[in-house]
Amino acid sequence: MVDPMRQLVRQLGRDTAYVLAGFPLAIVSFVVLVTGFALGMGLLITVIGFPVLAVTLLTARALADLQRIQLPAILHDARVRPVYAETPPGAGFWRRVSNPIRQGQSWLDLVHGVLSLIPATIAFSLVVTWWAGALGGTLFFAYDWALPHPPDNYELHELLGLADTATNRILFNTAIGLFFLLTLPLVVRGSALMKAYLARGLLNGVAALRGRIVDLEQQRAAAMSAEATALRRLERDIHDGPQQRLVLLAMELSRAQQQVDTDPAAARETLAGALTQTRETLGELRALSRGIAPPILTDRGLPSALAALAGRCTVPVDLAVDQAMPRLDPAIEHTAYFVVAESLANVAKHSRASGCWLTVAVADGLLGVVVVDDGVGGAALAKGHGLAGLADRVRANGGTFTVTSPHGGPTEIRAELPC
Amino acid sequence: MLRVVIADDAVLLREGLVRLLTENGHDVVAAVGDGPGLVEAIVAHRPDVSIVDVRMPPSHTDEGLRAAVRARQLVPGTPVLVLSQYVEVSYADDLLADRSGSVGYLLKDRVADVAEFLDAVARVAAGGAVFDPEVVAQLFVRRRRDEPLRELTPREREVLGLMAEGRSNTAIARQLVVSDGAVEKHVRNIFAKLRLAPDDEQHRRVLAVLTYLRG
Repeated sequence: MVDPMRQLVRQLGRDTAYVLAGFPLAIVSFVVLVTGFALGMGLLITVIGFPVLAVTLLTARALADLQRIQLPAILHDARVRPVYAETPPGAGFWRRVSNPIRQGQSWLDLVHGVLSLIPATIAFSLVVTWWAGALGGTLFFAYDWALPHPPDNYELHELLGLADTATNRILFNTAIGLFFLLTLPLVVRGSALMKAYLARGLLNGVAALRGRIVDLEQQRAAAMSAEATALRRLERDIHDGPQQRLVLLAMELSRAQQQVDTDPAAARETLAGALTQTRETLGELRALSRGIAPPILTDRGLPSALAALAGRCTVPVDLAVDQAMPRLDPAIEHTAYFVVAESLANVAKHSRASGCWLTVAVADGLLGVVVVDDGVGGAALAKGHGLAGLADRVRANGGTFTVTSPHGGPTEIRAELPC
Repeated sequence: MLRVVIADDAVLLREGLVRLLTENGHDVVAAVGDGPGLVEAIVAHRPDVSIVDVRMPPSHTDEGLRAAVRARQLVPGTPVLVLSQYVEVSYADDLLADRSGSVGYLLKDRVADVAEFLDAVARVAAGGAVFDPEVVAQLFVRRRRDEPLRELTPREREVLGLMAEGRSNTAIARQLVVSDGAVEKHVRNIFAKLRLAPDDEQHRRVLAVLTYLRG
């Protein structure tokens, strides 16, 4: 927990620096870019205008990058940089010149470089005024003696009807200073944000949108891959298990039918075998449907379902699950359940662990699942491995999935899902 | 002859159960297909035992179980044998919550062994508690860090398991191929090790064991 006062002061410092440094920068970029743009446009009729424009746009890009570096400290979000198309290697002069001109983001950079002078000027004036007011007012007592106070000099407090004494002057100016000081963080923050929002909108808006689209595309691909894998596995499981058994069962029953007249004793034996087959088939079907949509999860919610999973695991499981957890989105509950189910299956099959610890909790809009075992480690997210399927499934739900499993153990599987 | 109420929404299985019970000399007084119907039938007919499927309409979740619990509030002690495609300890918890006997919870597959199934029905009707070996296994797993349980010998654990399933001493003796006396000795040892009050009444003893295992 960071001290809120310290945080306020630190943010004030950052915002002030951002605004103060931003003003000269905005002037320079305005002058350079307007000149370059006008020159380039004017010279377009002779081909020299194209390289001038290209250089102007590349300058705008460099200035924009300078802005982008500063943004995270003001807006508290991740650093974003749009993808600029590179010139293909071995491209000719004109191809290289046309490259920046053909990119939309270059022109947005240019627009920002020119327009940013407006918020930069406003923000700069406000910040300088408020700092001056705050410092000048609160420190007035220290330099009041050095100021001349001739009788024909009417100061503000005198206009308001106060006598021109040192105490009145100091009290009045300190009050004004305090007003500026108290509102300083707010005004400076607002000024910095005004500048930063314009920068983010023009410089990173498109890139952020594109980034989001890439994320969603990956999520969708993960979902489809997870679904396809699950369906393929299900088909194989049905084919190898219950289907084979039912074929065998039909065969056995038809044998029994033949045997009834000729050899009743053998028929009885065949029927007994068929009965066993039936029971085993039921068991397999149960395991399968539990794997598709565990009924206890639907009926009783995640804590009960996880307790049942832990109960069936052959390695002792230490369970720490918030029993009062609210019902979550079914997709999230299912994903969390399968993370635990698959992880425990892995622990039982591969880890040679003697104990396993399962922690599930909800906080800050995230459902966290952590499975730790004291086994031999070496679990991997390799393709075709059960864990890789889990990673896809978690990603499909917008979550993160990590496996830490050095050789020699311990193994930690961690999933976080938005809920 | 027992007067039986059957509740299962799967018509095929319901008819199969009716046929099975009728052929074995029982009287099926009502066969219903949902939770409210079950409660109504139990209140109206006061059967010797009800056989209930967990998953039924309208909710298609654990409707049967909840209806059974509700019916037992209206008709205290009415014997209920719950069947399910899945056994989960938390379902068993619901049935054991009122700490009276006359309950059973079996995997649906157990119907395939007719003799065993009819025996379970009779035991529940007679006030006993019958629990599926899978439930008992899950209960054991849940208590695996339990110190007193670890003190039991393998044979005693076996006896405890069978007892939790609701078997009588005689049935346990037959299954383990030992004498009744030997089983009684095991039972006494188990009760001593788990620090449970000895009880000669078999049904109460089963409940004591189940309550212990549920923690």
